[in-house]
Amino acid sequence: MTLRIIIAYFFMVGAMLFAVTTTVGLIRFPDVYTRIHASAVVLTISAVMLSFGIAIYVWQFYLSMKILLVGLIFLITNPLATHAIARASYRRQIACPEVRSVDDYSDYLERDQQ
Amino acid sequence: MKRKAFAFFIILAVWIIFAGDVENDVLIVGVIASLVTSWLYSDLLFRSSNRKRKWSYYFRKIVYILLFIPVFFYEAFISALKVSKHAFEKKPTFSPGIVKVKTTLKNITALTILANLITLTPGTLTLDFDMKEKAFFIHWIDVTTAEEAETRKQVIERFEKWLEVIFQ
Repeated sequence: MTLRIIIAYFFMVGAMLFAVTTTVGLIRFPDVYTRIHASAVVLTISAVMLSFGIAIYVWQFYLSMKILLVGLIFLITNPLATHAIARASYRRQIACPEVRSVDDYSDYLERDQQ
Repeated sequence: MKRKAFAFFIILAVWIIFAGDVENDVLIVGVIASLVTSWLYSDLLFRSSNRKRKWSYYFRKIVYILLFIPVFFYEAFISALKVSKHAFEKKPTFSPGIVKVKTTLKNITALTILANLITLTPGTLTLDFDMKEKAFFIHWIDVTTAEEAETRKQVIERFEKWLEVIFQ
């Protein structure tokens, strides 16, 4: 057990804890948009921390760079997918937010608040 | 031509990283593949520009980008902890809502990157962008104030000031 392995395990365990959080959030949150917030945790923090930890764990140049590239691809594709899901489900009225305090977007779309 | 050469070297570097070693046959296939790709699609990667800047301008930009990466991950970590706290509460106490936040950025690339950064941070999610008023519509999990200046301060100002410096 060198220091490098301990740091790698630290990153991986942190990623695992955030992934558990996401699962609990996905079950407990009330509607689509708040669940997307829960899934953003796993895609932003957990995937990057996990790829960082594995890159430290294997510690070979080409393999580590490959894993970091996979983490970068996670960071690029995540906002595209979540933004597309949320915008489409709001504009097409597939799922309207159940709990809300303010809603400026329905004014912009000139739609009544249900 | 310059931009095609740049795209060629970036694609070749990614190819070498994915191939895992530098040998003759790997290099030959990689050079052919990245030549074709950069010849066809280099305009998707870079935009041509006629402005002449000093090299120190680009150096400063790169330094700011490298400084911004840990700042972004720190902010994302903090807001991930906030969202995690909501998941484990006995009765969820959040107040989600869609707020409208005006921005002062002009550059179209900076606006795109800002929208993506807002979506990447847990707790905030960009729904749409109003071109006339230059305003984002952001679904926010913790709407604490109805005041616009306060919202702006809490949601986008932490990234906006960095992007303003990088893309000035």
